[in-house]
Amino acid sequence: MDNGENNQDFRLIVRSDPRFLGSIRSLVRGWLEACELAGNVVDRVVLAVDEACANAIRHAYEGRCDETLEVSLREDGGHLELRVCDHGAPCPPECMEHRELQPPTADDLRPGGLGVPLMHEVFDEVDYCPGITGGNCVTMRLKRKD
Amino acid sequence: MALAIEESKSGEETMIGVRGEVDLYTSPRLRTAILKAVPAAGGGVAVDLSGVGYIDSSGVATLVEGLRSAREHGKTFTLIAPSPAVMQVLELTRLDQVFEVQTAS
Repeated sequence: MDNGENNQDFRLIVRSDPRFLGSIRSLVRGWLEACELAGNVVDRVVLAVDEACANAIRHAYEGRCDETLEVSLREDGGHLELRVCDHGAPCPPECMEHRELQPPTADDLRPGGLGVPLMHEVFDEVDYCPGITGGNCVTMRLKRKD
Repeated sequence: MALAIEESKSGEETMIGVRGEVDLYTSPRLRTAILKAVPAAGGGVAVDLSGVGYIDSSGVATLVEGLRSAREHGKTFTLIAPSPAVMQVLELTRLDQVFEVQTAS
């Protein structure tokens, strides 16, 4: 048994094709609604999970659509835990570090680089670790406020 | 999820109406539409986001690219009536202060 995978409420294994991101969002949204999370929290969590999946496709798989993403969801003792794992190129740990989002100025407009800060903005904790058999695993935790 | 992009002219402005979900899969189409419209526009480009049910960071980055391109070309770039989903992401990314936003068209 690895990573307590039998304790998950949901485990999705999805091809790393951006076409399927909408399906991942729908399934994650359904699970969050079943957990009776407030609507605005649902929207934010769906966004952060989508960003983690998009990052895996863009960076770990460099856009390859024929690999797999694994999305695991779990509610435990008032905490939600969402994990996105891939089998792609390991990211340098510093790329997952928490950076505060600064209000960009008119002269400093850079598209991109928003995904990881968004994940940190939405979740209480974002842990990154290399996967057991290579790849990357991002675990995001949120304490329920209700 | 489908994304519909419709271009029309309104005086000096080119209107780009966007409906559907903007994510890693669909944002390249929006990027192409915006970056093509900006240099060709008379006065500027207005992007109607009232029908956008979802936008991710790649979609927001696309809007930033549009704004940058508009500045380079001396054109205006306005976001029209962003839906609550769009406003939430603009606020989360602190970009709500960067764009010129018109709340009603």
